[in-house]
Amino acid sequence: MQPSQSPPPTPPSPGAYLAAVGTALPGEPVDNAMLARTFGVSEEWVDVFIGTRTRHFARDLTSGETRWSLAELCARAGEQALTASGVAADEIDFVVMGTATPDHLMPATVNHVADQLGLDQIPTYQLQSGCAGAVQALELGRTLVTAGGHRAGLVVGGDVCSKHLDLDWDLSGAAPSDLVNYVLFGDGAGAAVVTAEPRGHRVALRGVLNRFTGLGRQPGQVIEWFGMADRHEDRQAVHEDYKAIEESVPVMALEILWELLEDLGWDPGDVDFLLPPQLSGRMTRRIAEQLGLPDAVEVSCVADTGNNGNALPFLQLEALLGKIGAGQRALAVAVESSKWIKSGFALEKL
Amino acid sequence: MRPVAIVGLDCRFPGAPDAEAYWDLLMRSGDGVGKVPDGRWAAGDFHSPTGAEGHTNTTEGGFVSDPDVFDNEFFTVSPREAAAMDPQQRLLLQCAWRAVEDSGTAPQRLAGTPTGVFVGIMGNEWAHLHMTDYARVTAQLGSGNGYCMTANRISYHLDLKGPSLAVDTACSSSLVAVHLACNALLSGECDTAIAAGVNVALTPALGIFYTQAGLSAPDGRCKPFSAGADGIGRGEGVGAVVLRRLEDAVADGQPVYAVIRGTAVNQDGRSNGITAPNRWSQEEVLSAAYRRAGVEPSEVAFTEAHGTGTVLGDMIEAKALGRLHSGRSGRPLAIGSVKGNIGHTEGAAGIAGLIKVALSLHHRVVPASRFAAKENPALKLAQQGLRLLKAPLRLRSGPALGGLSSFGMGGTNAHAVLESAPPHAARPEPANTGAGSGRTGLGAGIFTLTAPSTAALRRNLLVQADAVRRRRAPVGPLSWSSNRSRTGHRYRFAVPARDTGELAATLREAATDDDVLARLSGGPSGKPLPALLFTGQGSQYPAMTARLYEDAPLYRRFLDEADAALAPYTPGSVRDLLLAGDPAVHRTGWAQPALFAVEYALAASLAELGVRPALLLGHSVGEYAAAVMAEVFPLEHAARLIAARGALMEALPEGGGMLAVRASLADVAELADAEPLVGVGAVNGPRATVLSGDLAALGRIEDVLGRRGTRTRRLEVSHAFHSPLMEPVLDRFAAVADETGGGVPKLPVYSTLRGRLLEAEPMDAKYWVEHIGAPVLFGDAMARLLEAGPTHLVETGPCPVLTGMARPLRSSAGATTHTVAPVPAEGAGGTEFAEAVAALFRSGVDPRWDAAYPEEERTPQRLVPYAFSGTSRYWTRGPVRATPAAAIGPAQAAAPSPLRQAERPDRAGGGAVPPGGGAVLTAVLPAAGQDRADPVARSVTEAVAEVGGYAPDEVSRLSLLYEDLGFDSVMVMELKDRLQERLSGLEAMSVQDLLPRLSSVGDLIDYLQDRIGSAVA
Repeated sequence: MQPSQSPPPTPPSPGAYLAAVGTALPGEPVDNAMLARTFGVSEEWVDVFIGTRTRHFARDLTSGETRWSLAELCARAGEQALTASGVAADEIDFVVMGTATPDHLMPATVNHVADQLGLDQIPTYQLQSGCAGAVQALELGRTLVTAGGHRAGLVVGGDVCSKHLDLDWDLSGAAPSDLVNYVLFGDGAGAAVVTAEPRGHRVALRGVLNRFTGLGRQPGQVIEWFGMADRHEDRQAVHEDYKAIEESVPVMALEILWELLEDLGWDPGDVDFLLPPQLSGRMTRRIAEQLGLPDAVEVSCVADTGNNGNALPFLQLEALLGKIGAGQRALAVAVESSKWIKSGFALEKL
Repeated sequence: MRPVAIVGLDCRFPGAPDAEAYWDLLMRSGDGVGKVPDGRWAAGDFHSPTGAEGHTNTTEGGFVSDPDVFDNEFFTVSPREAAAMDPQQRLLLQCAWRAVEDSGTAPQRLAGTPTGVFVGIMGNEWAHLHMTDYARVTAQLGSGNGYCMTANRISYHLDLKGPSLAVDTACSSSLVAVHLACNALLSGECDTAIAAGVNVALTPALGIFYTQAGLSAPDGRCKPFSAGADGIGRGEGVGAVVLRRLEDAVADGQPVYAVIRGTAVNQDGRSNGITAPNRWSQEEVLSAAYRRAGVEPSEVAFTEAHGTGTVLGDMIEAKALGRLHSGRSGRPLAIGSVKGNIGHTEGAAGIAGLIKVALSLHHRVVPASRFAAKENPALKLAQQGLRLLKAPLRLRSGPALGGLSSFGMGGTNAHAVLESAPPHAARPEPANTGAGSGRTGLGAGIFTLTAPSTAALRRNLLVQADAVRRRRAPVGPLSWSSNRSRTGHRYRFAVPARDTGELAATLREAATDDDVLARLSGGPSGKPLPALLFTGQGSQYPAMTARLYEDAPLYRRFLDEADAALAPYTPGSVRDLLLAGDPAVHRTGWAQPALFAVEYALAASLAELGVRPALLLGHSVGEYAAAVMAEVFPLEHAARLIAARGALMEALPEGGGMLAVRASLADVAELADAEPLVGVGAVNGPRATVLSGDLAALGRIEDVLGRRGTRTRRLEVSHAFHSPLMEPVLDRFAAVADETGGGVPKLPVYSTLRGRLLEAEPMDAKYWVEHIGAPVLFGDAMARLLEAGPTHLVETGPCPVLTGMARPLRSSAGATTHTVAPVPAEGAGGTEFAEAVAALFRSGVDPRWDAAYPEEERTPQRLVPYAFSGTSRYWTRGPVRATPAAAIGPAQAAAPSPLRQAERPDRAGGGAVPPGGGAVLTAVLPAAGQDRADPVARSVTEAVAEVGGYAPDEVSRLSLLYEDLGFDSVMVMELKDRLQERLSGLEAMSVQDLLPRLSSVGDLIDYLQDRIGSAVA
């Protein structure tokens, strides 16, 4: 029989690089005091149990008006990334977008984004996923530029929860499970320019992990969508199994971290920056501690941005690009608790 | 060593009630460890954080939930005996049963075979608790005592006759049991072996021992190879695997989880203290296992380590592994241990590891090892060529090897090398099939499920419904697997299945709707005796069985066969005529061969499905196909003869007809005799006669009968069959018949020519010539057939005719039989045929299932395991306490009979007892006795109940002592004594007097009443 554990020697594979990152957060930050005024939720409860300080909403909490669509936020982030990268719009060979909350089921939001950016006659992809969607989009972007056919592409991620932000709701007597849906989330978008050669920030994407592990498991998070026939059904639009999330995410995060390390042959001491899962200020702190990379600098954003799904990895990346020096390494871990998707990626600045 | 396949498994471990949950726990890196449950020991009484003398330093461990639940009725174990059994024995029984089912074999099929049973067990705590209270030692306690007879218990209840033994080598017991099972298989001692391990913690003794020896983890958790490792946490569990020689498993088409390539066992002899682990002997056992497996250490991708999480144990194990792996090329050996999830399950540790490795190879991913993230740097694992599994390891495609270590405290070490199942393991070599001759399949599967009671059937239907709905499996293979592994109990459920979703819905419906369940299940008793009834001319119609032909390869095979046999003698293909829906099928020249072809194909399909006709009857031309089935002549001869018959008759001038008369033969005989061109065509019953002949003459008779007020009906026929008008064909027909001949039927044929069973009479040329002109004596033949007591009347023809005609005869004969129609109506296809097979199964026939599925569907699918009843609980002791006075629970001390927690919910430790839990128990037993008033009956019932441990109202006159109540010889002895005590009028009797009277409780009562009565008289 063949020994099965040693990988076959592979020729140095063509790389994928992040040239630049852009992000977009709608409006002014909404603090816990504002949340408390609007929904009657206890400010202290949010501070203590969620640990998120501010977030941004595409819907104006005072007027109730929705001021930004997801497409607008994504286009803004995309434009920023393009500008920063030094890659011209006509060099973009494809757009990949990950989101859980598209503006419409059809047309796919990615096409509105391309339209707003003046991109035409190129392939576009939209990946329907929660926070792992951004990593899936990165993986697809990497695959496209390393496969040889494409030189540069735009990878986008974002989410808006305007649809679920019912301003008439009074949460003063609500149970924690209902409260959480209002205080955990936020809106935002991010984008990265992925290239086949080092350009812009010259950050190499060394590895991406994207794996479904939910066989036979109940989802930890469900977002329903409604149509004409079932719009009046008494179904909760957003449902989360916090117990399962709290139990499983730390374990999964640790496994993602170690799988990336071992696949790359990196030592825990080799990691200079850690981008941990961004569930909430409090959960993220807990997870980052037990990941056990004492030498790595944590790069997190959730306490200021709220959990804005597919925007999170880009917000973390943006912060990272401001810190990372040549030869330094970073590791990102994201867990999508909907159907238990493990994801993560590894970066090294040239 | 030749490879041994793991074909079935089942287990229960802390936090995991079954194998699926176990895998889930491992993949989640879940924690099965928790507080010592109520009912074991008072953890607080024995706890001392500092590990003071007589104390343990922890209040936690890995405990299985509901160890007291036992489905004693399933195994016909009386409640009293169940209560006297070590819970380890009860858990093993259920686990072994489910493991055998998981192997794709109904356990009943193993009965009587030399299957071996090897059980690893080291805990005897139950015996310590029960056998030391001498005043309460009963006969039952002897056989239920700890590990005394644990393996034998499985052999007894499953009726297995191979080697049967329990193995104690301390913590390596169950892997050593696996080693012995493999050796027994490879030496030919047995063809199937069950290897198992079990451990239930009932006292704090071992925890105290670990603490005193400095080996106990304060948090009750093993942390293998972790920087935080600080000792052992005890764990419980039970696991069983079913092993076959790989070549046998493949030949029998059994599913294979993984293959055991090599095992080795050794001892460290007079080492550095009897309990000290020994690095050299660990290295030696690893090397020996690699040698026996014929593999290089570097080929092994991962190893499930013993990994108790003691600093010394981890160090020695890592060094021993390092000795063999430090120089390896490629990736380091990945290691981990399940002890981090469930604790050290001692006697069951080896089987816990084996099942983990087997499932890892099966799922092609090795779970991460709990507590691995902070590995112990002192172990220098990387230098040893090892790496601790911090994330699940996905195995590359192709063969993968995994190792497994289990080390005993007394120095008996074991190691096994396993390999992923060969890709072809799922399917046997295709049998040598001629061109299309072996075609099988009905176009629909038949899902079967059986249980010893209707309540159990309902429960399991629900479990299967949920499982089928949750995960789609191809319905054909799923049904075939259900036929192989879920048949054998008395209550039989069967339903045709074409789609997984529909099947799930039907299963659920049957589980929840009594009418549906009644329709789709049966509880047959006795041997089936099916009769095949072949319909005559008139039952044909265009496109008959065309759908069935399209759906069912099996039917196609036999209709093609008949078509080929007829082709030389018919103007075209009978099959093509049928498939085209040609109305010419009504012409006699086509009708007779076409019916013959259809009936032959139906009967041959049924025979291939194992429905061997016990009795045969054919109405007129139906007798031709019946004769072929009875091997009177070969298909080709029958085809030639029936084709000639049809052609000759068709050539006769038209103008003949047939008249059905609602009158007896005697009533019309005179009228027929008066017309020379009219004869009696058929006598179908006492008041059903058919006249046949010239149309004008029939008209005259019709008029007479009309005047008499007798009802008549003209049959739509082209010719006057079975009449004098047939005479012109006889000579030419006889010429053909002389050549085709015909012998004595080899099966009982009820001849409609003779109106009776043929007794060593040939169905030769003379018979068939006479058959043309003579009346069809269906009524007589059918009445005789019914007297033989068939269990089934199977309508073998394109539509149901004869079973309807038989109905009035049946009531007069007083017979109760099932009627089955493989083609119930025009347009019927494979599903309807499958329904007929399902109906036959429900009512007692055991089909040869393989014929119902095309070869590509005969691949094993694992079904969820049998769901045992959870309503009866047996736990005869309260929790162990520190104070000796409290050691005997006062409630128990006062109770003369074992505690049945199902009836005492207040003491149901741990699990909720559903309301009416006790009622479920009684429902399957005959209702309470009606003659309570009679003192003898009352005394007998009470004595039986007391000895068996039943409530008196669970015992009735109809209860069978052995079958229903699980009595054994020891209980009979006791019963005799109790009867003697209670019945003062009874003179001394011996057990020999009693033994022949012990079938039912009623018989016993009658006998004792007689005895007492005669004594008084």
